[in-house]
Amino acid sequence: MTSPLEVRTISGADHLAFLRTQDSASFLQTPAWAQVKKEWKAESVGWFRGADLVGAALVLYRQLPKVKRYLAYLPEGPVIDWADGDLAAWLNPMAAHLKKQGAFGIRIGPPVVTRRWDAAAIKEGIADDATTTLTALAPTERSQSGAAVVSQLRELGWVCQSVAGGFAAGQPQYNFQVPLADDDGPLTPDQVLSGMNQLWRRNIKKAAKAGVEVRVGTAADLPAFHDLYRLTAERDHFTPRPLSYFEVMYDALSAEDPDRIRLYLAEHEGDLVASTIWIRVGTHAWYSYGASSTEKRDVRGSNAIQWQMISDALEAGATVYDLRGITETLASDDPHLGLIQFKVGTGGEAVEYAGEWDLPLNKAIYAAFQLYLKRRG
Amino acid sequence: MSLVLNVDGDRWRAHLRAIAEKRSGLVPVIKGNGYGFGLGRLARKAGWLGVDVVAVGTPSELSEVANRYDGDLLVLTPWRSFDLPPESVPAARLIHTVDRIEDLRDLAASGDRPRVVLELMTSMKRHGFTPRGLREAAAVARAGGVRLEGSSVHLPLGRAGGNLAEAETLMTELVAAGLATTVWVSHLGVEEVARLEQHYPEVTFRQRVGTELWLGDRGALAVRAHVLDSHPVERGEVFGYRGRTLPRTGTIVIVSGGTAHGIGLEAPTGDSGAKARVSALARGGLDAVGLAKSPFTLGGKARYFAEPPHMQASMLFLPAGTNVPEIGETVEVRVRYTATYFDEVEIS
Repeated sequence: MTSPLEVRTISGADHLAFLRTQDSASFLQTPAWAQVKKEWKAESVGWFRGADLVGAALVLYRQLPKVKRYLAYLPEGPVIDWADGDLAAWLNPMAAHLKKQGAFGIRIGPPVVTRRWDAAAIKEGIADDATTTLTALAPTERSQSGAAVVSQLRELGWVCQSVAGGFAAGQPQYNFQVPLADDDGPLTPDQVLSGMNQLWRRNIKKAAKAGVEVRVGTAADLPAFHDLYRLTAERDHFTPRPLSYFEVMYDALSAEDPDRIRLYLAEHEGDLVASTIWIRVGTHAWYSYGASSTEKRDVRGSNAIQWQMISDALEAGATVYDLRGITETLASDDPHLGLIQFKVGTGGEAVEYAGEWDLPLNKAIYAAFQLYLKRRG
Repeated sequence: MSLVLNVDGDRWRAHLRAIAEKRSGLVPVIKGNGYGFGLGRLARKAGWLGVDVVAVGTPSELSEVANRYDGDLLVLTPWRSFDLPPESVPAARLIHTVDRIEDLRDLAASGDRPRVVLELMTSMKRHGFTPRGLREAAAVARAGGVRLEGSSVHLPLGRAGGNLAEAETLMTELVAAGLATTVWVSHLGVEEVARLEQHYPEVTFRQRVGTELWLGDRGALAVRAHVLDSHPVERGEVFGYRGRTLPRTGTIVIVSGGTAHGIGLEAPTGDSGAKARVSALARGGLDAVGLAKSPFTLGGKARYFAEPPHMQASMLFLPAGTNVPEIGETVEVRVRYTATYFDEVEIS
């Protein structure tokens, strides 16, 4: 019989030290991320078995309007042993701790894969008019331990928040990733390149031939990134974040680890044609934000900058290059399909996570919160 | 004097073939009264269909099926130490349903390496492991002593489409237990199974089908009863076991078929709406107050029972002015096949 787990507040330094003992964790679970999300109260919590720190989480407290009660949000976390068949032993003391801190409910995003679809399967799904969603497509791989997590969360009274269709929940349930290692160890750049479709390979070559140069910038280059990002937002109809958001992110993440965050710039004859933000925690590297110019699209800056980020991720020892969220759709008339097709071209795989799950601690306030979310739309 | 099930043989066999075609991995269910046909007859028919396994309800039903059919025999009622299969049935042909860890341990300790399927509880809440219990059971089964033939879910009759959502949820539980290999299912529509097969191409689904298989083409089946006797009665005249009187003048017609055959009894239907209840009542679910519609058709109309049916005959009331059938004539009867015992089954 192992001793029971205890959950208590830990320092940012202890939190970070624990993450360094892990293969990887979501960047949303790093103590630095708390500084990016300044509008929320944050807390680092640790799981202790005796004196040993065996789990950690970044908790963001989102206040309910007018009431001093919070939704405790653990984006893409907590970082615990999800393979343990007794998740109650981990989650129950966490719930008790967060309740004491004023939480009326908890939202978690177990970093647990439930299904994977490889590029070939998705391509087939897109080609087949009868298949309109990823989930209707037979997965290439199904995870037993992922299913066991889902089963246990249900058993413990957690409620799944994912909705059919896409980005509605907090963090995306479906992501696109390029594996940078297999059972034999790290892949070579050539192996990764040969997994890409012909168009990607041609475009990467084309960019090199056209003289596109990709470099890693510094904080001083953030305004240039942001100018391009604002134009991209206008073109692609999304709301841009302010420059200050990226400055805070860059400073906080760099301070935590000198190689946590990189700003990439792809230039052609002095013009910035693409710019991206790369984040890495351990063996997991993310393509986090991206911007591209409307002019000079034929020099393929986007492909060049992606390839540079992938190559650098490999070099840094990453085993996964993560292109972040995709929607479930495979319908040929869906506006999101282009994004999936771009990502599928990298030859990676779509990955389904267990999704976000809520545990109401105070049923009445939680119900009011759900209503508030619904009204807000 | 008998209640007879007449079967249009060609049409019935064509229907059986069509279902076998449509339901991949078909497992004919042969239980209870044999859906009116009798267990032995259905066992032979399953052999004729060429299926590799059939399902019986209880261990006691095994002997009647086992010597008329050569393949494997799944017992649907979960294994219990106090209700063992007859020794005459070879253990190698038997597949037991297991829903309790202690029973699984007993079976594993038997030394015969019995074949088992592990049942997961559904919203029906009849038999089955909890999801956590199933994961534990799967581990015990894998440790040896038994041969694991897959997992089982028995869904409720369900409304259109309702079972698929539950089935998908249950599939996650089976995946979590490492048991999404061969999954034995019942009460899923053809479309629903097709969806599951699409989502879980690595899984073999074994579809247990009873009613839809044996009774799916009602047009191929006709039930007839003999007119045994008839007596004119005056309004107010006393008749019957209970010394009843009728408020009208007419004829009492005595027909074959009573409670011994299942006439006047109820069985659950897939449909629980008000209309279905009324029609179930019309088929014989009656109380002793007043007149109840009988399942017998005379002169093109369902007639009232003059009094509740007896063991082997029923008394019907025909109002004055209605054509009275001759003794020896046959009349049509609507029955619940799963609750009816026929004196004869005639297959053309």
